[in-house]
Amino acid sequence: MSEFQKAMQVATSGMIAQNVRVRVISQNIANAESLASNPGGDPYQRQTVSFKNAMDRASGVEVVEVGNIGVDHTAFARKFDPGHPAADANGYVLLPNVKPLVEMVDLRQAQRSYEANLRVVDVARTMIARTIDLLR
Amino acid sequence: MTVSLTTAINAYVDAVKSANPGAGDAAPAQTPGSGFADLMKSIGEDAIAAGTKADQMSIAAVEGKANVAEVVTAVANAELALQTVVAVRDQVVQAYQEILRMPI
Repeated sequence: MSEFQKAMQVATSGMIAQNVRVRVISQNIANAESLASNPGGDPYQRQTVSFKNAMDRASGVEVVEVGNIGVDHTAFARKFDPGHPAADANGYVLLPNVKPLVEMVDLRQAQRSYEANLRVVDVARTMIARTIDLLR
Repeated sequence: MTVSLTTAINAYVDAVKSANPGAGDAAPAQTPGSGFADLMKSIGEDAIAAGTKADQMSIAAVEGKANVAEVVTAVANAELALQTVVAVRDQVVQAYQEILRMPI
């Protein structure tokens, strides 16, 4: 496998990793108001994605992998809502620890990373194509 | 696209291999002819492997099982391999025709 193809393989792994990140962000944003259904339960807990590098044996390049999808252990906020099924004795309901603004910034960052990897694939492909064009 | 990349690459490799014996016979030394044949063989094999992978990825994408980034990279690789085979074939055929034009 030539160096260009290895570059494209690594960039593809980066794009797939960013796909997972966008999926987790979309889960967080969609469930930003998902409360528990009974007083003892917990609301939606924000998920986080961690990446790690891994050595691909076949081509000897460092690709990126999703390390694990963990949960954020920040404390839950509380809202006063006595009529809710999940309200405790004092009438407070636990809210998910998702901040939509943080998620939107993370989404923007994921988009930038994805576009950077896409640019690497594009540049590598253009370089190979122009080299082949020398023969025409 | 009605013809798959693998079929196109196979057709080009066969065309060059049938043109190569002429180039090998006309050249006095063994090395230039066999160099072309080995070059075309290695490029053709790489191109066929890339084409097969691209076909598999395209089918997986239609089934919804493959990631779009992987499909695009595989198809781009196959397309570049095909362009390489075409460019080298053109040069080989041109060289063959030059040799044919040599006055006896």
